[in-house]
Amino acid sequence: MLSKIAKTGLTRRTFLRSTAAATAVGALPRASLAADKVIKIGFLAPLTGAVAAWGKPGLDGCEIWAERVNAAGGVKLADGNYMVEFVAYDNEYDPAKARTGATKLIREDGVSFIMMLGGDTWPGVQPVADKTGMLFSTLLPSDLSPDTTTLIAPTEVHPVYVVTGVEWLAENKPELKTAVMCAQDDALGLPSVATYLAAFEAAGIEMLDEPLLFDPATTDFAPVVTRLISGNPDIVCLDTCYSDYVHPIAEQLFQQGFKGQIISATADFYDQMIAKTSEEFMEGFIFNFPDFDDPALNSDQINFDDPNGFFAEYNEKFPGQWGAVSWEYASIMDLWKAAAEKAGSAEPDAVITAMKDGKGKHAFGDADWWGKDLFGIDNALVGDWPVVAIESGKATIKEFRNMPAWYDKHGDLLIKHMKAYDQMWDQRS
Amino acid sequence: MRNLLIFIVGAAALITLPHFLSFSQQEILVFLTINILLVSSYRLLTLTGEWSLGHVVIMGVGAYASALFSKELGLYVPVSILLGGIVAALLAVLLSFPLFRMKGFYFLIGSFAAGEIIRLLWKRFRDPFGGAKGIKGIDPMPDFSIGIYDFDFFEPISYYYLSAMIVAACLWILWRIERSPVGLTFHAVHWQDKLAEASGVNLRAYRTLAFAISSGFAGIAGALLAHYIGTINPNSFDVEVMVFVLTWAIVGGTGTFYGPILGCIVLTVLNEIVLRELGFEQMRPLIYGAIMILSILFMPKGLESVVQRIISRRAKT
Repeated sequence: MLSKIAKTGLTRRTFLRSTAAATAVGALPRASLAADKVIKIGFLAPLTGAVAAWGKPGLDGCEIWAERVNAAGGVKLADGNYMVEFVAYDNEYDPAKARTGATKLIREDGVSFIMMLGGDTWPGVQPVADKTGMLFSTLLPSDLSPDTTTLIAPTEVHPVYVVTGVEWLAENKPELKTAVMCAQDDALGLPSVATYLAAFEAAGIEMLDEPLLFDPATTDFAPVVTRLISGNPDIVCLDTCYSDYVHPIAEQLFQQGFKGQIISATADFYDQMIAKTSEEFMEGFIFNFPDFDDPALNSDQINFDDPNGFFAEYNEKFPGQWGAVSWEYASIMDLWKAAAEKAGSAEPDAVITAMKDGKGKHAFGDADWWGKDLFGIDNALVGDWPVVAIESGKATIKEFRNMPAWYDKHGDLLIKHMKAYDQMWDQRS
Repeated sequence: MRNLLIFIVGAAALITLPHFLSFSQQEILVFLTINILLVSSYRLLTLTGEWSLGHVVIMGVGAYASALFSKELGLYVPVSILLGGIVAALLAVLLSFPLFRMKGFYFLIGSFAAGEIIRLLWKRFRDPFGGAKGIKGIDPMPDFSIGIYDFDFFEPISYYYLSAMIVAACLWILWRIERSPVGLTFHAVHWQDKLAEASGVNLRAYRTLAFAISSGFAGIAGALLAHYIGTINPNSFDVEVMVFVLTWAIVGGTGTFYGPILGCIVLTVLNEIVLRELGFEQMRPLIYGAIMILSILFMPKGLESVVQRIISRRAKT
């Protein structure tokens, strides 16, 4: 008897149906919601801890997105308009907590879609995704594999976009000939290391040393930086270090008198870095995440709605909190909303089919579903990505560069380095 | 008769408990059950007076070993879990040679260093440990039926029943060890080491024994965790997790068998259920820390002292 109850929902469809029914029953007393039909979206990312900088600002951005969309009438599906409500769960970047969070969001909150940061947390969630058929998104396409049919990477194709910065440097500062790199030794750092190595090789920039991999528990970066710059490199690459590492490393580079070029995937809260170092030191710092008040984002190719207004509202509500992910989850929601409206339904199957039908409206321009070579599945949306430089204390988009174009020329190098770091989808244990 | 009644009521409560919980609370219950074994095994080591900072890494050794036994060698998962515990215990014996040349604070630091070396080895050797990404796709416990109940180990209720049975058996063994002459000797090694040595007790051998036993059970806890979530990585067993184990032990108290268990239950429920339900999602570390400081200030002997006070008050009336 008990076993029969426990068995309920073991197929995808019956599971989702029973979950929806349970949620509907749970929602009955809340009469206030009856007037407005509501679609719940799960936000399963680190909101506390070292990786919170890539979760919390994204949730804040989503709240602004929801206010704007709801004010404009919500999501228009076949059976009427739905208001959007985000339900967040702090997974603390822990796979076990991510599993608990996914279970809660699907089976208790009845969400229609779950956004994640991904990385270490995705393997904990994958069995839940397989069992329920829920549609998930990740910011880290290295989570993708042929088995992850309901996982999409529709905004950030980390780490492929980092090639744009290196390519831009090689073209615009050809005097830079040598580089060194450091990264935290984890699921986020390693694929990025492989990609930067491919980008430097493609650009003809010599690596002076093997990438310096440090433990994520590192707090004293003085010895790391000392070793890093001991060979007088032209470029110091900070890979995809968390902001908790980028800041002290930049500070150490400043204190130890480094005068060369710095390149990094992110430079979250760069104003604080400038305050800790100097405007002159940070001048020309290259990274990949723009402020959304940048005039370049007002061009016709941009699909993100009112980026300047979004940035202003964000800074008004969350001053000093703008970071790499502030717009990314909201941008994923743009794609999800468009797909759900096209499908006329919020059902995961219908949404993913509609989403992958033709070109995708990526925030930085129309893009293609891509990834078979690298990830074993075409579930990453890839197109243009901006190269950003700090100029006079302000992030400025220098240029948009096309990732598939780079890959067409240098894809073999990327695969070579990915294989060397065991980062190809078929090498992940 | 009274004990039998308590046992029956307790067992019935544990069997029915998950049916009163939400899905996510059932998930938390699974992890709580596993953590009870972890913290109880830790207490056995503290009986000898030694506090380790490597216990969570040892748990990881059991998790990695069990995952590899089932994934690479195709061993049956329950056998892998048992072997995971044995590997953790054997590694503890190996580590005891350098570590038990130290005592007290030095042992604490030495155990931390040993743990970090093990974690670095997991990262360094991508084959077979998977490097920084760890191991994914770990075989789950195979489903089976016992007639009246079908165990589907994707479901938290099923895994809770399995882990509760294993943890209960382990706790019973730990309890029996503590109550045995060996357990009494552990106490003597802590409180009367000179006298014990003068009486012919081999201090180092008993410390090693406690370390190996506690590591073995921590290894089983790690293996249970690995086969439930299906993935492990070096960060799952870092010093931050160890701080939680220490906190459970300190807040609960280590004077009694149930002290650390009480600490683990109260703090987990507080952190994972109460604070989340109250909407303090992002302020949990702050509130959790404040509660910890207050409990240490006002309950220096841990939560177990509250229970003892209640029991002694009842005895007087």
